[in-house]
Amino acid sequence: MKKTTVTSGLAASVIAIAAAWGLLAIGLIPLIAAEAVTVIAFPVLVLFLGLWWRAPGGEEDIPFIGY
Amino acid sequence: MIEYLVFAAAFGLLLLGLHRKVIARIQMRPGPPVWQEILHALKFSFKSTWIPKTASSTLYVGVVLVGIGIWSAALFVVLAGESILILFAIYMLHKVVEHGFGLSSGSPYGKFGGVRSVISAASEIPLFVTIAAIYLFTGSLLLRDIVAYQGVHGPLLLIVPPVAIAMYLVILSKMPYGPFSIVESKELVSGYKTEHFGVWRAGISVIDGTKTFVLLYAFVAIFIGAVPFWAALIIMTLILVSLSFVCAVTPMLSPFDSVTIQGLVTGLMLVYVGYLWWVMP
Repeated sequence: MKKTTVTSGLAASVIAIAAAWGLLAIGLIPLIAAEAVTVIAFPVLVLFLGLWWRAPGGEEDIPFIGY
Repeated sequence: MIEYLVFAAAFGLLLLGLHRKVIARIQMRPGPPVWQEILHALKFSFKSTWIPKTASSTLYVGVVLVGIGIWSAALFVVLAGESILILFAIYMLHKVVEHGFGLSSGSPYGKFGGVRSVISAASEIPLFVTIAAIYLFTGSLLLRDIVAYQGVHGPLLLIVPPVAIAMYLVILSKMPYGPFSIVESKELVSGYKTEHFGVWRAGISVIDGTKTFVLLYAFVAIFIGAVPFWAALIIMTLILVSLSFVCAVTPMLSPFDSVTIQGLVTGLMLVYVGYLWWVMP
């Protein structure tokens, strides 16, 4: 995956979580809506954060499939 | 909200590290430091990452996202005091996630782990009986109602100890290195997790940490009731240490023995709940 794609995904998840938190704080959305956004955006944040700072390199390989 | 998720994942990983430490000490080994699982998660997230050629890319990646998502939702369900039916539905969804992990990579080890995950679905049946018994007493499946009931009548742990033992067994089934941990036993390398490495494995660590926190916190809320948050954390740690003792002194059962024992427990629980239903007004 390209670095720009990963950065965009990471930014989108951070913005979604921050927006949900902000809108909840000022009372524009109910708690359950903010939680729903967080439940969707948090997994994306975890994976894209890892993909963003992971070490470069590596190629597709075939796992060991038995003798 | 995200602070709850980060705390739950980190504390859950700390508990899993403590789990390894306690098992090691009982087995006369020094064991890893208690924060080892947190270090593992960070280490994996920094590693080179790709998708194996034999994998179904969408399922391979998607299942990690789904796994983190469902346990994040479970945490909010528990914190909000919502229905334990939702919580246990999520617990069963995790079974689908384990299966997806195993089948997505194309590795026979992962596949066997996924198949064993289906076999070990027997561990979920005591869960249904637990729910039925709780409903007989509290008349509600909302966690906040169950907690309120215990505020008046005392902890369900003392009122229906066999039901608490059944849920304890369910949590034990989910603990690594335990008698029922057939989904990731060593003859399968790491079972369904075998071919998920690097960032994907870091995602699995987040799933495991959050899952451990949610299950133990739910146990405290369902069977002990309303306690201050710091006290809940201490009780969760004590429960985990007791689970570690069980795991340390019990050999891993063969898949069929594991299912047989879980089935027997379910049978006993059914008899117990039937008796409760018969004698209760």
